Amino acid sequence: MEALELYAVDDSREVYTEELKLNLGPQHPSTHGVLRVELKMDGEIITGARADIGYLHRCAEKIGENVSYLQFTPYTDRMDYLAACNNELAWSLTVEKLLGVEAPERAQWLRVIVCELNRIASHLIAFGTYGIDMGANTPFFYAFRERELILALLERPSGQRMLYNYVRPGGVAHDIDETWLDDVLRFCDHFEKMWAEYNTLLTHNRIFIGRTANIGVLPKEVAIAFGVTGPSLRASGVRWDLRRDVPYLWPYGELEFDVPVGEGTHGTLGDCWDRYWVRMREMMESIRIIRQACRRVPSGDFMDKNLIKIYKSPIKPGPGEAYLRTENPRGELGFYIVAAGGTSPLRCRARGPSFCNLSVLETLLPGCMIADGVAIIGSLDIVLGEVDR
Amino acid sequence: MDEAALHARLAASGVPGIGALDRSVKDPFVVVEPTSIVPALTWLRDDPACRLEMLHNLTAVERPEAIEVVYHVCSLAHHHALVLKVRCPRPEGGTHETWLPEVPSVAGVHPAANWHEREQWDLLGVRFTGHPDLRRILLPEEWIGHPLRKDYVYPTEHGGIPLELDAVPLYERDPASPPPPSGRVRKAGEPLFQPPAPFSSRPLASGGRTVEPGEAPAGGDGAGAGGGEH
Amino acid sequence: MESLIGLFEKLLGDLGHADLAGTALPLAGAYAVCIGTLLGFITVYAMFAIWMERKVAAHMQIRYGPMETGGWHGWAQSVADALKLLFKEDIIPSGANKVMFWIAPAIVFCGVFAGFVAIPFAMGVQIADVNLGLFFIIAIASVEVVGVIMAGWASNSKYSLFGAVREAAQVVSYEVPAAVALLVPVLVVGSLRLGDFNAWQEQHGWLILHNPFAPVAALIYFIASLAGCKRAPFDLPEAESELVSGFHTEYSGMRFSFFFLEEYASMFVSSALVSTLFLGGWTLPFVNVSHMPPPVGAVVLLVKIFAMIFVQMWLRWTLPRLRVDQVMSMGYKYLLPWAFAAVVGTAIFETLGWRWLPL
Repeated sequence: MEALELYAVDDSREVYTEELKLNLGPQHPSTHGVLRVELKMDGEIITGARADIGYLHRCAEKIGENVSYLQFTPYTDRMDYLAACNNELAWSLTVEKLLGVEAPERAQWLRVIVCELNRIASHLIAFGTYGIDMGANTPFFYAFRERELILALLERPSGQRMLYNYVRPGGVAHDIDETWLDDVLRFCDHFEKMWAEYNTLLTHNRIFIGRTANIGVLPKEVAIAFGVTGPSLRASGVRWDLRRDVPYLWPYGELEFDVPVGEGTHGTLGDCWDRYWVRMREMMESIRIIRQACRRVPSGDFMDKNLIKIYKSPIKPGPGEAYLRTENPRGELGFYIVAAGGTSPLRCRARGPSFCNLSVLETLLPGCMIADGVAIIGSLDIVLGEVDR
Repeated sequence: MDEAALHARLAASGVPGIGALDRSVKDPFVVVEPTSIVPALTWLRDDPACRLEMLHNLTAVERPEAIEVVYHVCSLAHHHALVLKVRCPRPEGGTHETWLPEVPSVAGVHPAANWHEREQWDLLGVRFTGHPDLRRILLPEEWIGHPLRKDYVYPTEHGGIPLELDAVPLYERDPASPPPPSGRVRKAGEPLFQPPAPFSSRPLASGGRTVEPGEAPAGGDGAGAGGGEH
Repeated sequence: MESLIGLFEKLLGDLGHADLAGTALPLAGAYAVCIGTLLGFITVYAMFAIWMERKVAAHMQIRYGPMETGGWHGWAQSVADALKLLFKEDIIPSGANKVMFWIAPAIVFCGVFAGFVAIPFAMGVQIADVNLGLFFIIAIASVEVVGVIMAGWASNSKYSLFGAVREAAQVVSYEVPAAVALLVPVLVVGSLRLGDFNAWQEQHGWLILHNPFAPVAALIYFIASLAGCKRAPFDLPEAESELVSGFHTEYSGMRFSFFFLEEYASMFVSSALVSTLFLGGWTLPFVNVSHMPPPVGAVVLLVKIFAMIFVQMWLRWTLPRLRVDQVMSMGYKYLLPWAFAAVVGTAIFETLGWRWLPL
């Protein structure tokens, strides 16, 4: 059972100097939410780590068993609150799979644009907060300048800046106005210039590279064994992206985009710098996707007509179950719905990507210093709303 | 390979206790005996044609007649996936307090299962035997009960703080006398909250009228009301 | 300073107490005036420096910083913050060692404050014209290390302990390349008295241009002083994203403001040293400042000091933070050998009397 040895803490030194037990969190500037990591330290070196989660548990799955399918959409927003549309998309697609309907074409393309914009917004936060973790407080403001533009763009169709409740089973909630697509294209042009600025600020900074290269190396096999998905998995060299390999929205099959993969540029393959660089390049790929999608949005319905009639009263899918996974900015979000014929699901399970990405922390942390520990947690890009639900 | 081919390979692999492929739902699943889930997952992970190396999701579902543990495994090398289920039938009168079904842990096969199994133990009370560290993960360690069960009864207080809707607020409580037990215990099956009352149709200052759900607004078609709230 | 003593003696004579002329009374009076002025200056300077830091940080982060308090660009923000800190509740952690907790900010501040007395602000305007001025400043500034360690230990918190231990390692290590780099101007000028540096640079121009090794030494001293002031990229002792606030996590209110003042005061002292030793002090290249009234020299020096402080702030808001082992390796493996090389090169230059620029 060689997998179990991953949990062993190295206590086999002969000279037993006093070990310090330190709590990182739950209130801490760098744990990206309320996360508590119990550390056993020898001076500055971490010898053992245990993640303690559940501080943001809001009983989403229990609530899912008590509200209707449409009423649960805002709850999915609040799981990964930085990439809300992607969560709603996973939920909507799973409900559509249960019902056996498909959203109209215009809705599908709008979903692609909105979700990719959300992906950029989420990666901008990852970039900005990673700079703050490393001590560079300035790139955060530059990232948020662009994020403000995205939030203003997304406010126009959905009415909300952050937790949109926009992608619903059957399509999207509201239609876009006439100038929205042009403004999105203008944003894409603006963003490309700013992306070059971010690289001069942080990416190629010698100190930043010194803090992140060769730190927190996640080998491919360990990543797959722990269920790590998303940019953290791609940074370890695995070229796996659900949008390309198992397209859950058929427009993704028609768009041209690359899947950035870590290459071990500045250190070992799968270190923190690789994870960071994969996210940066993914932002540019999202811009490519958005550009192509904006030109292909057809006219038509934005919400399935049958479902509109059904929405007068709560939808009641017949007994059955469905599981669907989508590529979120943080990894693969999976919703497993078991329907028993009522207005609410019998079981509604959300497999959060950050939950699985975080489980690898206990393997990565021992052996590094506390400053590296902060770098590793930041590079995994977790959101506690998704870990705890 | 699709699920039928995967199931055929698994059935022919020599691992005992593999059931038939159930195709009645969108994602066909295989019911496996509890004792053979570990060898089955190991075989599926290691067989070169299957290579189902990532455990994507581990869920426990409580149905009236049984608790099912559902395993979603997927492959990155080949783009296929499979669903396995382990069924633990409910004994007579098995409640959330008395019945904690036991299923062998697959944490040794897929380390990802470590946290997933802890969560299902925490929320649904499925005991995974052989798990290296089975303790609560989302709820506090001292929590009693497994909340996601259908017959779970909500506690009336936790750590001295009352948890009922009509309890006396903390700042009004007299420290000398503890709050009386309100006796209002939520029964199993009782709804979590009162559903909101429907809006009554009333005129607005602008001259229009609020709309009840289910009513088409004056002059609008179905597409316009489709974006209305439920 | 002597002139002040003379002033007091004259005052005593005017008041009819000429017999007290040689005693300690005029001396005490002079000291009181000097230290009072200096305290007032440091307080006002610290408030200004904090406001400047917030504005510099804000404009580098595409925002404005304080704009409301006081009207014009929030100039009264620091005053408001100082008043707020004065009124805050004095919280001492329950397990803290009360005596050390109380003394630590005082030690830290006094160590840095004492360095101010040896800085020449203009010709003859210096509180203590110490023969070993440079040596005195370097030595007395290391008293703050003791205070920081006391603060970290007395707080009874693991985070503070971490900050204190890191700080001890870092500050003490970086004093070595700093002191070695400062040997270069000493070798050129031949004296440790700070007034002599100004006089020398008045005649020969700025020291940084005298010698190919002087810029190297200036850069090394500047970087080492960044580490000594615990400024980014060496701000591990107060690394906000790792240790919440490092060694001053448990301090609040006026005690915290002492640490804050100390940081800006030591920035001032190290910038003053760089300006005096390398950038000409209160002298200007083509202007005979020593014959002008003292405020001109003081203004010249202050302009240079604030330019260096601006560079320190600029670096803080641009660069990420170095990890502790990288800090140590940079100090010992890079700065120290280069500092030694600079000293050896300067010694050779001076002995052979070479010149490299027509100055």
